[in-house]
Amino acid sequence: MLGSGKWRHLLGAMATTLTMSATAAFAWPDGPVNYIIPFNAGGESDITARYQQPFFKKTTGQDLIVQYLPGAGGAQAWSGLNGYNGDGMTIMGTNLPHIVLQPMLQDPGYQTGDITNVYMFHFTPDALLVQKDSPFQSVQDVIDAATQNPGAVIAGGTGTNSANHVANQVFSNETGVQTTYIPYSGTGATESGLLGGEVDVLWGYTTVAARQADAVRMLAVATEERHPLFPDVPTFKELGIDMVGGAYRGIAVPSSTPEELRQQLSNTIGQINADPEFRKRMENDGYAVIDVPYAEMDAFMADRQAAYESVAEQLKSQN
Amino acid sequence: MADPLGILLTALSPMNLMLALLGVLAGTVIGALPGLSATMAIAVLVPFTFVMDPASGLIMLGAIYTGAIYGGAFAAILVNTPGTPSAIATTFDGFPMAKRGDGDLAVTLATIASVVGGLVGAILLMTLSPKLATLALAFQSTEYFWLAILGLTLIATLSQGNVVKGMIGGMFGLFLSMIGVAVIGGDVRFTGGMPSMLGGIDIVAALIGLYCIPVLINMVASAGQHLEPAPARGFRFFEALGIALRDWVNLLRSSIIGTLVGILPGAGGSIASLISYAEARRASPRSENFGKGEPSGLLATESANNATVGGGFIPTLVLGIPGTPPDAVIMGALMVQGIRTGPALFQSGDGTVYIFMVGLLVATLLMLPTGLIVGRYAFRFIANVPKAMLVPLIAYMTIVGSFAIHSNPHDVLVMVVMGLIGWVAARGGYGASPIVLGLVLGQIAEQGFMRAWMIGGARGDFAGQLLLNRPISWGIVALILLTLCLPLLRRQRQARPAPATIPIGSRPDMPGLAGAAIFLTLSVWILAQAQALSTMAAAFPLAVGMAMATLSLLQILRSWRGYATTDMEAGSDDATGRGAVLAVTMLLWALLFPVLGMFTTSLTACAVLTMTGQFGRPRLRQLAIYSLSVLVMVSAFYLLMVRVLNIPMPVGLLP
Repeated sequence: MLGSGKWRHLLGAMATTLTMSATAAFAWPDGPVNYIIPFNAGGESDITARYQQPFFKKTTGQDLIVQYLPGAGGAQAWSGLNGYNGDGMTIMGTNLPHIVLQPMLQDPGYQTGDITNVYMFHFTPDALLVQKDSPFQSVQDVIDAATQNPGAVIAGGTGTNSANHVANQVFSNETGVQTTYIPYSGTGATESGLLGGEVDVLWGYTTVAARQADAVRMLAVATEERHPLFPDVPTFKELGIDMVGGAYRGIAVPSSTPEELRQQLSNTIGQINADPEFRKRMENDGYAVIDVPYAEMDAFMADRQAAYESVAEQLKSQN
Repeated sequence: MADPLGILLTALSPMNLMLALLGVLAGTVIGALPGLSATMAIAVLVPFTFVMDPASGLIMLGAIYTGAIYGGAFAAILVNTPGTPSAIATTFDGFPMAKRGDGDLAVTLATIASVVGGLVGAILLMTLSPKLATLALAFQSTEYFWLAILGLTLIATLSQGNVVKGMIGGMFGLFLSMIGVAVIGGDVRFTGGMPSMLGGIDIVAALIGLYCIPVLINMVASAGQHLEPAPARGFRFFEALGIALRDWVNLLRSSIIGTLVGILPGAGGSIASLISYAEARRASPRSENFGKGEPSGLLATESANNATVGGGFIPTLVLGIPGTPPDAVIMGALMVQGIRTGPALFQSGDGTVYIFMVGLLVATLLMLPTGLIVGRYAFRFIANVPKAMLVPLIAYMTIVGSFAIHSNPHDVLVMVVMGLIGWVAARGGYGASPIVLGLVLGQIAEQGFMRAWMIGGARGDFAGQLLLNRPISWGIVALILLTLCLPLLRRQRQARPAPATIPIGSRPDMPGLAGAAIFLTLSVWILAQAQALSTMAAAFPLAVGMAMATLSLLQILRSWRGYATTDMEAGSDDATGRGAVLAVTMLLWALLFPVLGMFTTSLTACAVLTMTGQFGRPRLRQLAIYSLSVLVMVSAFYLLMVRVLNIPMPVGLLP
C-alpha cells in the first residue's frame, strides 16, 4: 500500500510530466534541425559545427544535421537563406568578415542586413605561419625580406576578399611592406601550399598551428593577449603592429523566423558554449569561444562593419 | 603500432563486420542514385557514430564511402549516367556493353575491378602512408595545372572522327567551369546578372543532365528496348574473372594510378579514372575498341576510382589535409572523437586508426558478394522493366537527385537546361563527354595556372615556376606529349602503304555548321565580357574565348566543305513528338516544383511520362499497375529524401 504522502508525490510528478509534455508540444525543436554550412567539409566552419552537434543533442534532445552548401565563398548559401522556412528547423552558419565584405565589394545576391544572425559563438584569431624549415624565425624576418624585395615574399591564404586576404592587407598597412597574396580554394589547399613550399608564409588561424603541430611555426597571433595554447608566440601588438582580428563564426536564421524562436536558439547556442567540455574541446584546437547572443548582435555587427570599411575600400581599389 | 592480433580481432568483431556490410550496402545504393553522394550519406550518419565506439563508427563511414564510389558504376553502366563524378569514364565502355546485352558482365567486371582497386588502395594506405604522403606536398599549383591538361588530352581520344568538334566542346566545358565568383581575382563572371548563378554550375547537376536527359529522350523516341533484353543467367563471374586476370597489368596499373591521384588533395576519383582510362587505352592492343564497349576500359576506371578511397585517406591521416570531400567529413568525425589527424597520429600508438584500416579492407572485400547480388538485380530490373515505367523512374531520379545535391531548386533547372543543351549539341556532332571533361577540369586548370603565374611573377621566373624547375611537371608534360603524338605516329605507320583519303561528304554538315556558329557567337560574348574583369580573373576566359573562336571558325569551314559528317556520339534517332513532350515535361517539372511542391509535381510529371514512354494502347490492368507503381515509387523516394536524408523540401502550395 502506498502512503498518502507517496500518492501526493506521484500525483505531483504526473502533473509535472503533463505540463512538461504540453510545453514540449509547442517547444522548439520538435524534430531534427538542419544546420547548413556554406562551405565544404573539413574547414573551421564544419569542424566547429561538428563539435556543437553532440552538445545540441544533449541540450535539446534533437539531432543537429550538418549539410554543406558551398559556392561563391559562402554567398551561394547566404543569398538563399531567407528562402527557407522560418520555423527554426533550418539554421545556417555565418562568417565574418565574409558577410560584411562580400556585399561591400560586389553584388553577391544578398545584403549584410538580410542575414539574421542570432549568435556569434567563436572566433579564430589570424596567425602568420611558416613551415618548420623556413628561414623566417620572426615577424621581423618577414618584414626585412619584404622590405628588401617588395612583393617577393609570397603569402598564401583562403579565398579573395576573405579573412586571410584582409589580414594580409592590414599587415601591409601596418608595416608598410608589400607581399604577394595567393588565394587558395580552401584551408586544406593552403596547408599543402605551405608545407610543400609553394608559399613562404601563410595567413591562417591558430587552429592551423594546433592541427599541424610541429610541422609549422607560428610567428605571431592577432589577439589582444597571448593565446593560452601558445604561450610562447607573441601577439602582433607586442611587436608593435596594431593587428587584432580574425574570422568570427555564428549562426543565422531565415528572416521569417519569429522573435521567440530566435531568442530560444540564441539561448541554446549559449548553453552549448557554456558547457565546460565543449569549451575545452574548442580551446584545445585553437578556437576562441566568444558569446555574442541575439540581444547584443546589432551592436556587435555595427562595430565589425565599421572596422572592415576602410580595408574594403583598399581591396576594392586593387581590383 | 599496437598489438596486431588485437587489432585484427577488433576489426573482425561481429559488430564491426555487420556495420561494414551495412555500410557497403547503403553506400552502393546511394552511389548508384545520381545526385546522392558519399559526402552527403556520411555527413548525415556522423552523429550516429558519436554514440558508437570510435573504430566502429569509422569502419561504417569508410564502408559507406567505398560502397558509394563503387555504386556509381551501376548508373553509369545501365543508364549511361555516372552516379558519382568518379564514374564518368565508366560510362564510356560500360553503357555500350549494357546496350549490346552484356550489362551483367559489365556489372560483374566493375565489381571485380572495384574490389581489386580498393584492396590496392587500402594496402598501400596501411603500409606506405607516411612515405606516400610526401607526394601530396610535391604536387603544387603547377603540377595540378598540368594534370588537368593531361586529363583534357582525353578529348582527342573521346572525339574520334572529329577532334575539332571535341575541342570546341571542351572549350565550352571550360567556359561553364568559369561561371560564378572567381576564386582568384574575386570577380563575378558570366552569370548574366543572375544571383543564382554566383555559385557556378554544379558539376554533379551538369553531369546528370548532360548524360541522362539525352538517354531519356532517346528512350521515348523509339519503341525498342532500352537495353538488349537479357536471358536469365548467372553472374557470369568466371567469365569476368578470366577477363580480369588476363588484364592484370591494366588492373594493377590503374589501381596504382588511382591510389596516387587519390593522394592529391582536390584531384579525386573523376581525374583518377579518366587518367587510368587514357593510359589503359594507350597500352592496349585493342585501343580502337575503347569507347565501344571494351572491358579493359571498364576495368581501368573502376579499379582506379576505388583505389582513390585508400589513397585519399593517406594525406587525411598523415598530414591532416583531407584528400577528398568524404575524407574531410570523416576527418571532422575523427576530431569529434578526440582523434587528432596529422603528423602525430602514426606515432601515438593509438590502435583505432589501424582498426579502421583493417575495417576498410574488410569492407572492400564485402563489396564482392554485395555488389554481385545488387548488381544482378539492378541489371535485370533495368533491362526488363517496360519503358513506360523506366522513363518516369529515371526522370524522377534525375530531378530528386539534382535537388538533393544542395537542396537547391536552381540545380534542378541547371540539370535540365544542361541536358537539353547536351542533346541539341549532340545533334550537331558535339558530344557530351568533352564538355564534361572541360567542366570537371576547368577550375583545377585555371587556379593551378593562375597561382603558378602569380608566384612566378613575384619570384621573377615564369618559366621556372611553370615548368623548368619542376621535375614532376616534366613527367606529366611528357605524358601529355605521348598521348597527343602516339596516335598520330601509329596512324602514319599504318597509313604509309595506302595513304588514307579524308572522307569528304558531298553535302555540307549543316547541324555542325549551325553549332559552330552558335559557339562562335558565345566566344565573342565571352571575349566581350572578359574586358570588364580584373587581369587575374580575365586571363583564362580570354584564352578560352580565343581558342573557342578559332576552333569554331575552323569548324565552320570544315562543315561547309563536308568533312567528317558522321560522329559516333551523334544519335541516329529522330526527334519525335515524344522527345519534345519529355523535354517540356522536364523543364516544367524543374520550374514548377518549388512553387507547387515536390510530391505533387513529381506525381503529375511521372504520370505524363508514363504515357510518353508507353508504345501502343495499354490494357486497363497494365494501366492500373503503372499508376500504382508510380505512386509507390514517388512516395518512397520522397520519404527517403525528407525523412532519412533530412533534405529540406521547398515550401510549395502543396506537399
